[in-house]
Amino acid sequence: MPHERSHIVSSFEQELEQLRAMMVKIGRIVEEQVGLALRAISDHDESAAEEATRLDPEVDELEREVESLVIRLLALRSPMGADLREIVAALKITGDLERIGDYAASIARKAIKAASGDGQISLSGLRSMGRLVKENLGRTVDAVIAHDANQAMEVWHADRGVDEHYVTVFRELVTYMIEDARNIRACTELLFIAKNLERIGDHATNVAERVYYAVTGENLPTTRPRGGSPTRSFGQGEDTD
Amino acid sequence: MPSASMLSASLSGREPVQDVALSVRDLNFHYGTHHALHGISLDFPARCVTAMIGPSGCGKSTLLRVFNKIYALYPGQRATGEVMFDGRNILDDSINLDMLRSRIGMVFQKPTPFPMSIYDNIAFGVRLHEKLNRTEMDERVQDVLTRVALWNEVRDRLNAPATGLSGGQQQRLCIARSIATRPEVLLLDEPTSALDPISTARIEELLDELKEEFTIAIVTHNMQQAARCADRVAFFYLGRLVEVDTADRIFTNPREKQTQDYITGRFG
Repeated sequence: MPHERSHIVSSFEQELEQLRAMMVKIGRIVEEQVGLALRAISDHDESAAEEATRLDPEVDELEREVESLVIRLLALRSPMGADLREIVAALKITGDLERIGDYAASIARKAIKAASGDGQISLSGLRSMGRLVKENLGRTVDAVIAHDANQAMEVWHADRGVDEHYVTVFRELVTYMIEDARNIRACTELLFIAKNLERIGDHATNVAERVYYAVTGENLPTTRPRGGSPTRSFGQGEDTD
Repeated sequence: MPSASMLSASLSGREPVQDVALSVRDLNFHYGTHHALHGISLDFPARCVTAMIGPSGCGKSTLLRVFNKIYALYPGQRATGEVMFDGRNILDDSINLDMLRSRIGMVFQKPTPFPMSIYDNIAFGVRLHEKLNRTEMDERVQDVLTRVALWNEVRDRLNAPATGLSGGQQQRLCIARSIATRPEVLLLDEPTSALDPISTARIEELLDELKEEFTIAIVTHNMQQAARCADRVAFFYLGRLVEVDTADRIFTNPREKQTQDYITGRFG
């Protein structure tokens, strides 16, 4: 993570700064995508949904740029110690952020489809799940930017709340479907949305783990406290990630 | 050649659990009035590669020079403390230097072939310590040249002068010469800094094989080399041992800030 002294080779220092700037950019765009996707759910805002999808190629392009910069740094600078950890973490974090962006775009598209239903389904559970996911993601991106291991550990623990929300939302939606078969089409879309939000939470915890490793050189435990799995009570296997 | 009693002492005295070839305790070294090493304590595990890194003047080469007492050639240079090797403190005046140097071999930065044939470069040291007949000597020469991957390149010109070999070949010859007396420890002082990348890779490959039999201490300025070759890495600064740990730990997450600054190129 950023050192008190700068590197003897100043161009290496500049490249590290360039990498950090790219991480800020990709992190903020993905955060924006998730915000837009949530607006698409809450307000049935079609333009927000389009915007979330439109940002996708931008994130993909940034991911490729990070990848090529990282390869160049590894090949030409042979980084060691904290530099090595930061550079490898950046590569992996970018991969997770890109996936989060994909999920956000997918949520936005499904939100518009689900909204074409008759509006009898309460979205309050999904909304509060979305708010928590967005908040956790925001704090995760902040931890990436500030190289803050403590914050990374906090958001890593906070994902438990997302899992718990997911269980609740899942059961709610299943109940709607049992009550009235006409709800099935919209509820299926909403189930996918809930699942995608849950996946965003998981990728955010991956990012938090990378930040923690890059800053401290230590790994967080391999298993994270989880908020349960909705499918278990429906006779399926454990949801593993 | 170590005597039978010394060998048996080394076998019985060596604990299998803590198999340490060289054990340095509170070592201080002076070049005249210059205090070059300050209270160094460091173990060299047997059949491992231990790399010593640090900026110029940090004392890493001095430490190597202590191990085979090259410094004893120069007046005014003195070492105090303890360097235990096979149950004895090699700093004691009673240590037989010829014996010590046959058991702790050294390879220098620049290849130093003797001005004689390839064959004699190897046979020369062996003759000082062992009485071998012609066939045994031929076998010994072939054996060590094969182990340093030089045999196929020189088998048809064993009587040609060693100085006609390329730099990389000369350095491999010097390593062959060092292991021909069957030492237990091999000291390498920047053995590849004068070599091209292919010759360097060959020597590094060789170290991997040699460590199955020898304890290797290598001084290098090339951190990638230390990362590639060494099991353990010791970082020295201003004559002090700052940190010693596995190569993995030193190069990904060292404990000491000075080490971190050095390996990431932030040393001012």
